[in-house]
Amino acid sequence: MPNAQPELVRGLTPAEAERVLALGTPMSLKAGGVLFRLGDPAEQVYLITRGRVALTLPMQVAGREEDVLVEERAAGETIGWSALIPPHRFTLKAAVPLDTEVVAFSRAALIEYFGTNPEVGYTVTRNVATVMGQRLQVFQTMWLREMQRMVEHRSA
Amino acid sequence: MEMFLMVLCMSMLGLALTAIAFSSATRGLDDREPAPKQPIVELPAMPAAQFFTDRATLPMAARTHLPPVPVEALLLQLEQHIRLEHAAAEAFLEFPTAQSLHSRTTSPLVH
Repeated sequence: MPNAQPELVRGLTPAEAERVLALGTPMSLKAGGVLFRLGDPAEQVYLITRGRVALTLPMQVAGREEDVLVEERAAGETIGWSALIPPHRFTLKAAVPLDTEVVAFSRAALIEYFGTNPEVGYTVTRNVATVMGQRLQVFQTMWLREMQRMVEHRSA
Repeated sequence: MEMFLMVLCMSMLGLALTAIAFSSATRGLDDREPAPKQPIVELPAMPAAQFFTDRATLPMAARTHLPPVPVEALLLQLEQHIRLEHAAAEAFLEFPTAQSLHSRTTSPLVH
């Protein structure tokens, strides 16, 4: 992984980070594989350790439903935080454009561990909140830019 | 001679009657009020023909007459647009100002 500390365990001591990472299960996906689909039950959070994950949303393009890229995530980054946030359903599709490796953390394992290690739970939850907050801010900005263009177009 | 004078008198009388009838028929034409002018309707100016037209700004009916963009090309444009917009949003979040919020990109979908 390019970063010394992956996004999910940032702020933990190396020993704490190692214990959290040990809760996960490594997974390999071939190029073109799908990690999760829109609407699937979200039971696992994923840490990308190698490769890349494309997050897409379906759009009607020329009468066809097409997966349109919304975001791309690389090694060291976290995806699938819907597993920790009710109603625990994925709101995007995650596919891999190239051979990719991730570590999957089940919600049940994380919650159990955080119950006995609340300080670690707090740090990891704050890391997840940071990822969510960044996503919200980026998409809020993108939405406002589109709205501005619509207003300019209507008043032209 | 009498015959000639009679024909002449009858001709003069006919001419006079014709003149009177004509003058009575055309009298008052100039006195009438002129017909009210039809209001001039301002027609909207026709837009100048454009060779390079933004497809998105055209009405739906007009758009159907343009050659269709291949789906693959449109998807690539969409992807490029989203990447550029994503980068612009991240740049705004790093240094938030009103100008950086609405900074322009080179996206083909907004030009």
